[in-house]
Amino acid sequence: MSYVHPDYLVDTEWVAAHQEDPNVRIIESDEDPLLYAIGHIPGAVQVDWFSTLQHPLRRDFLTKEKFEEVASKLGITNDTTVVFYGDKSNWFACYALWLFQYYGHKNVKIMNGGRLKWEQEERPLVKEVQSYPATTYRARKADKNIRAFRDQVLKQSKAGKPLVDVRSPKEYSGELISMPNYPQEGATRGGHIPGAVSIPWAQAVNEADATFKTPEELRALYEGKGITPDEEVIAYCRIGERSSLTWFVLKYLLGYPNVKNYDGSWTEWGNLVDAPIEKSI
Amino acid sequence: MPLPPKLQEIVDDFAGMTREEKLETLISYAETFPPLPERFREARTKMQPVPECMTPVFLVAEKQADGGIVFHVDCPPQSPTVRGLASILMNGLNGASLEEILSVPSDFFLPMKLDEAVSQQRLNGFMGVLAHMKQSAVKAASE
Repeated sequence: MSYVHPDYLVDTEWVAAHQEDPNVRIIESDEDPLLYAIGHIPGAVQVDWFSTLQHPLRRDFLTKEKFEEVASKLGITNDTTVVFYGDKSNWFACYALWLFQYYGHKNVKIMNGGRLKWEQEERPLVKEVQSYPATTYRARKADKNIRAFRDQVLKQSKAGKPLVDVRSPKEYSGELISMPNYPQEGATRGGHIPGAVSIPWAQAVNEADATFKTPEELRALYEGKGITPDEEVIAYCRIGERSSLTWFVLKYLLGYPNVKNYDGSWTEWGNLVDAPIEKSI
Repeated sequence: MPLPPKLQEIVDDFAGMTREEKLETLISYAETFPPLPERFREARTKMQPVPECMTPVFLVAEKQADGGIVFHVDCPPQSPTVRGLASILMNGLNGASLEEILSVPSDFFLPMKLDEAVSQQRLNGFMGVLAHMKQSAVKAASE
């Protein structure tokens, strides 16, 4: 058994061999954005989920026009193969890939194992920032098929259809929203969306080298919790980053045809007036 | 009570920096993050975890002969932003008295405008580190 869409995954060796390929752009996307400055794959450029990919005012991503600007500046054409990698088991790399897909970029891949595996293999990291000739990138209309909004989530919950909560068990149960003295970011209520099953995102990756688990293991993980390919699935976390890794796994590694990421996630739901909540403490 | 002088100096420095300069300065703080002293290496249990950080951060305070407090922080090199922020606190607070440390307001960093360079989530972690430093300092001072 192999991954359903293996084209969306490359290994470190492939990236090493394509570092200078003009049709390939390697992008680092980290949870900790300073990592890139400390050392990155030679030739790689950086996007930061917070300063590059968010709208400067509203709670939303950058606009289509802004996305075009970012992609053009990174020297990406509509045909470039864009390979993402990052820290924390590629969690933010998957987020960036999801956003590139949202604006219609077709050729995207994740470097399996991310920074961790690259470092473990003692491959070179450099500080030198490479720049590429600017392009004129044209984004497509945002692909709402991969993004869920709150009304759709409410409908999904009421219909008893699959929702995957990928946060840690304590966030799911509702035990964790605030630490003593210090409110955590964002939500005034704890718990989860009614009907959501808890499958923490990290269960999809091997802790030792940050690679994805085998197709058999992944299938057992999600199908074992009733998340099957025959229905539309919505994944969420706290702000939609961790769940983009789960989205990637379900959509490309397991080939589920209809998977959405709810980027509003708990920081929207846990603040939404009149939204139903389940707790399990 | 005013901020400890070293911390005030850091705050003033950052206040006048561009976003790029802030990032560069944070990187140099991260790169000069002091290694955890040998005596704490095997004694993580004696250190206080900081659950507000998404990264595993542990810290401990020690009282010096002159009564000043010194902090030691453990944080993985894979988290340079957290290292940089923790390093700012160590540089700004080490050697200060318990009273000075406790009087640092939890939002002392607002004039640094770190939000230009660092996400809000990280700043929550930053406040978390400060809060845990205060707790550790109280403990160290009473020992």
